[in-house]
Amino acid sequence: MTKVRELLETELDALKEVANIGAGHAATALSQLTDRRIMIDVPQVQVCAIEDAPSAVRDTDAVVAAILMHVLGDLTGRSLLLFSREGALVLVDMLLKKEPGTTKIFSELEQSALKETANILTGAYLNALSDFLGVMLLPSVPSLAVDLCAAVLSTTYLNFGQDRDRVIILDTRFRFEPGDHSLSGHFVLLPDPSSLEVILKAIRLV
Amino acid sequence: MTDTIAAGDHRVGTGDRTLTVIGLGSCVAVILYDSESQIGGLAHVLLPDPSFSTAPERRMRFASTAVPDLVQEMERAGATRDRMRARLVGGASMFQELLGNDHQNIGERNVMAARTALGEGGIEIIGEDVGGDFGRTVRFDLKKGEVRVKSSRTDIDVVV
Repeated sequence: MTKVRELLETELDALKEVANIGAGHAATALSQLTDRRIMIDVPQVQVCAIEDAPSAVRDTDAVVAAILMHVLGDLTGRSLLLFSREGALVLVDMLLKKEPGTTKIFSELEQSALKETANILTGAYLNALSDFLGVMLLPSVPSLAVDLCAAVLSTTYLNFGQDRDRVIILDTRFRFEPGDHSLSGHFVLLPDPSSLEVILKAIRLV
Repeated sequence: MTDTIAAGDHRVGTGDRTLTVIGLGSCVAVILYDSESQIGGLAHVLLPDPSFSTAPERRMRFASTAVPDLVQEMERAGATRDRMRARLVGGASMFQELLGNDHQNIGERNVMAARTALGEGGIEIIGEDVGGDFGRTVRFDLKKGEVRVKSSRTDIDVVV
């Protein structure tokens, strides 16, 4: 088991750049899907204790729609696409070409639309990383949960993580522009500790 | 007064206080209560036992070590073991499609480890709201000894 270590400043910067490239492509894909402008924030890269991880991403008592996928290939880990519940409902309206405010619950069609969105966005994110790093990456099938952020994130780390003490979080927040602030979300990449070295090697930092 | 118990943390207390855990996923809240002394304790555990971790010294993170420690702390506070009753909440399994077939999920294992540790301590479990694929929020009223659980699925309080 590779233990997660503290990262150097240069390594954090490099990982931010990696997240930026991935999220940039995912945002472009989301923009094309919804015909809206999408803005992304500067990525946050954090190494923290599992207990602190939920609050590192979002308010822990907020209800989120989260789509989790495994990342397989030369790098392993997970990718998480996170929307506020309200944001996800509005997004579904956009995807299904309905009036904003129409969708109230996530039934089968809505869930499927969100999972498909995650497929496309994660595909774009991983393709960009794959080109940039020169590695092969494959996403698994997506799985959706609509639940409290704390529950979603702690379960993600505990059930699927390699290291159950510390996690590496590459978090990029995105927003629809202009206007509605509830319409924001996160692209989160959670590389396994062993994959961290692969990333750093690919960008020739080690 | 309400205390929020974070993952890997615990609290023992009495009187006009409520202990709460927000958004339990695969974690488990182990709740002990001695109704005579009205002393209660809650441990928010993440993992079944220290073998899952590289930091085994943080005992309150693991069901197998948190249970005996919590019992001891309650005894020091004036509760007695034979009056203690336990309730378990949490241990959900989300994103089930992504678990492999041979992969027993952590939520389930947390619940099993907590049951085993309580059994070894001779403490009876009088209520459980565990499993499923959804998160839960717990409120433990120390004065009444009442445990209320709300889930994103039901939106109603369940008393365990």
